[in-house]
Amino acid sequence: MVLLHLKVMNKFIFILSLFFYLNAYAESTVKAGDSLIWDSENQSYTATGSVEFSNDTFIAYSEKMIAQYVEQGDKELFTIVELFENVRIELKDEVFLGDYAIYTRDDNIITLTGDVSVQSPTRLLKGHELIADIDNNKRILNSANDGSLVEVLLENNENN
Amino acid sequence: MSKFLKENIFNFLIFLLLSLQAFMYYYDNKPSSKVYSQKSMSVENFSSIVLSKSGLTKIGSDKLNKIDEDQFFLQGKSYLENKEYKIYGEDISINLIEEISHSKKSVQVINSMGTLEAHGFKNIDSEGKIYFDGIVTFKSHE
Repeated sequence: MVLLHLKVMNKFIFILSLFFYLNAYAESTVKAGDSLIWDSENQSYTATGSVEFSNDTFIAYSEKMIAQYVEQGDKELFTIVELFENVRIELKDEVFLGDYAIYTRDDNIITLTGDVSVQSPTRLLKGHELIADIDNNKRILNSANDGSLVEVLLENNENN
Repeated sequence: MSKFLKENIFNFLIFLLLSLQAFMYYYDNKPSSKVYSQKSMSVENFSSIVLSKSGLTKIGSDKLNKIDEDQFFLQGKSYLENKEYKIYGEDISINLIEEISHSKKSVQVINSMGTLEAHGFKNIDSEGKIYFDGIVTFKSHE
């Protein structure tokens, strides 16, 4: 009886471990309308034509994307994602627009340059460069002119 | 002179026709300098291993058509598997010398990062690049 109980417990622990293992991996998706090149020597993916990149945090659209990856153990991870032309990034209720964007996985920061704008339900901000710190929920918007620096700090407020 | 021609005109024409026929016969039977060594061969439910830059690659298909010593056509459902990728598709052409494989049919590629689906591919193994044309979807499991 005890042996049977132990066997059932082992199976339960195995299934539970498997569940957590599968959920430990976030999923990123790349869709390309024209072409995609997997360059295993330079460890990159280049997608062109109505590109869509999404992960568990944001969805990005552009005309071209170059994603760099590294190998960690037997897995490969996207580390840097560059987006070119007509960049649109949707992050929760915000929309970032720009000519070029770079996302770095290590610090979870998106930097947009060019004709940048930030749209949210309550405001529209425009500038030359946007640095979106996703982990710290911080947005820094710079104008093209160094003399007129603008910084916007958005705090989490569930009531507003 | 005119009398001579009138008497021998038929002999001359017959000689001319015979010469023309001999000429045609000679060139019609002249052996070609080109050597054709095309041996077509096909095998069903085929699988084998080839050595390329990516290492040992296992290939297989419903039917293998050997075009020549260096070119194969994997007809029907086919695959290429090695330590870097697994390519599952249809009607894949392989050139062993140029280390190129390609197909214009739907293909699924599985690598250590995720799964990619496209409508055709061109794998240049010597460059370590795989080109996918048309609408491509790649899902990674990070």
